Amino acid sequence: MDRRQFIKSASTTSLLASPGMCALCKNLYSFTDKVNISHREARYYKQLPHKEIECKLCPRLCKLGDKERGYCGVRENEGGTYNTLVYGKACAAHVDPIEKKPLFHFLPSSRALSIATAGCNVHCKFCQNWEISQKRPEQVHNIDLPPSSVVRSAQKYDCPVIAYTYSEPVVFYEYMYDTSKTARTEGIKNAVITGAYINPEPLEDLLTVVDAIKIDLKAFTQKFYSEYVRGKLQPVLDAIKMVSQSDVWLEIVYLVIPTLNDSPEEIQSLCRWVRKETSPDIPVHFSRFHPMYLLKNLPPTPISTLERCRQIALDEGIHFSYVGNVPGHKGESTYCPQCHNTLIKRRAYQIQKINLHQGRCKFCDTPIPGIWS
Amino acid sequence: MSKVIIIKGKGVLSDSRKINTNKLRRMYQRGFCRLTGENSPQKALRALFANNEKVGIKINTIAGKKLSTPPPVSLELAQFLHTGDIPKKNLVVWDRTNRELKTAGYNLNKHRKGIQIFGTDTQDVGYSERPISHLQIGSLFSNIQKNIISSSISLAILKDHGIAGVTAGMKNYFGSIHNPNKYHDNHCDPFVAELFDTSFIQRKHRLTILDALVVQYHLGPSFHSSWAEKLESLVFGLDPVATDRVGWNIIAKLRSQKNLPSLEEEGRVPSYLFTAQKMGLGEGDLNKIEIQEEEI
Repeated sequence: MDRRQFIKSASTTSLLASPGMCALCKNLYSFTDKVNISHREARYYKQLPHKEIECKLCPRLCKLGDKERGYCGVRENEGGTYNTLVYGKACAAHVDPIEKKPLFHFLPSSRALSIATAGCNVHCKFCQNWEISQKRPEQVHNIDLPPSSVVRSAQKYDCPVIAYTYSEPVVFYEYMYDTSKTARTEGIKNAVITGAYINPEPLEDLLTVVDAIKIDLKAFTQKFYSEYVRGKLQPVLDAIKMVSQSDVWLEIVYLVIPTLNDSPEEIQSLCRWVRKETSPDIPVHFSRFHPMYLLKNLPPTPISTLERCRQIALDEGIHFSYVGNVPGHKGESTYCPQCHNTLIKRRAYQIQKINLHQGRCKFCDTPIPGIWS
Repeated sequence: MSKVIIIKGKGVLSDSRKINTNKLRRMYQRGFCRLTGENSPQKALRALFANNEKVGIKINTIAGKKLSTPPPVSLELAQFLHTGDIPKKNLVVWDRTNRELKTAGYNLNKHRKGIQIFGTDTQDVGYSERPISHLQIGSLFSNIQKNIISSSISLAILKDHGIAGVTAGMKNYFGSIHNPNKYHDNHCDPFVAELFDTSFIQRKHRLTILDALVVQYHLGPSFHSSWAEKLESLVFGLDPVATDRVGWNIIAKLRSQKNLPSLEEEGRVPSYLFTAQKMGLGEGDLNKIEIQEEEI
């Protein structure tokens, strides 16, 4: 299979249309109809008197009695021990192009073995993968895929990257962490696709075992986070800053939803914050919204709005800004911030041309931030 | 004025907490008669249910065997409903999962004759295919609540709840959606009220019965024997808000008797009841609720 054939097949078979798995994955693994959950002790929690616990993984700090579950729905207090129910229990496993994440400055055109479990620690009304993220592990089909098997599968299917994605990897933290550690010993890189609703301590530990993080910043106002995400903005901004100060590659994606988070003022504030608090070299993607889940009353984002957002970012000094979910748009490609020539020409998930040499612009030798090999 | 009936069945629980089903049946009979004002149990049943209805009895089996609806409590209610000419196959005792039902001591029955007992996760039952959105609720609904039954009794365990303050008849319907974990912010307010307001619940809900045989008045919803009081009571109400408000009052009294801080002092007032009142779902003001108590 050549690269073109691969991209075509991967991009058509990896779409998550159901809580099960794509045709490709059905051939890779077999399902079991029985409830298939783990009972492995979770990290980052505190035991309290009377068999109660307090979860320290994410800013919600769920305090739970015996037999209760956290907001995520995948971590349960079982007799005073807080257990993850999804360790090694993947409900989705696909081979995707890395561009689908999207990660544009991280091993372009590489294959990413992409895994997810049920659950999420927020409740976005526009969730595109709600059929797994907003369900409990008993409500989806899980397969046994322990960390060693994930790594072996990545090797088998020629994937230099493992991506933790689709739902919210923060809620399957232990599974992601152990898999990442094992993958590193085999020379495989790890990419996390997350809303970054996570506390500093677990994030700090995660940054020691992963290579790239794409953060979905869902808006730049607390009002939006309260009404449409059911979370808080500040912890996400704190997480972005923390990742930007680490050695882990970071890209930010902002899903532009008509009338809710698309005002020029909000986009400008966001871009100024990114430039001031992190770095102008961090790519900022503006993705097109499509009506989904509980937000079906709004139209898809006009392309002109996305173009305006990208232009605001460039005007505010962000070096790399992209338009997402608009196949064929020129805003999908990477341009040199110095000479403005095209560095990586993209069309949807396909890479059509790369004008980089050892991470530098082929035309003017400007170093381009990212992980290129 | 909303009316709530508390029937105390002295001796309904033995010292080892075994249930006296004869006493329990009489408690149901008295509760239904007092609630409807009818002088016979059969008339009371007919006042509430037509004999061609498919009646769901939503129980609560989340807390394991020690603090779930005991099988005699729900099955005796179903037997009592059957005396009102509702066929047994039209009586469905249900909760979220078969695993929880079995752990609580139930023998599942989906296809055989008799009272039906099964969870939403039973094959060919499940949840609605698409999410149903109402106010701030966005959930898949159990097909038992949505499609199978025509009327519903919330037979809930009355418990203290660390987040919601009190869990009773209205919150029991959290077990009819696939994602109750998403609705515990802000002491479950307004989510308990808004979920109840959905047509699949509000339109079908016929009455609330609170199981207050043993009340977990502190550190709920998990079972802690040190704070579980044998009250030997059932609470009946047609007004879902008023019934839960009386339930809260029972817990408040127990906490006071045991020198525990009130829910107000602990900052976990079940404010969803006030929201429910504002939404017109029932009466939340204790002064406007007529409470009738009877001991048998």
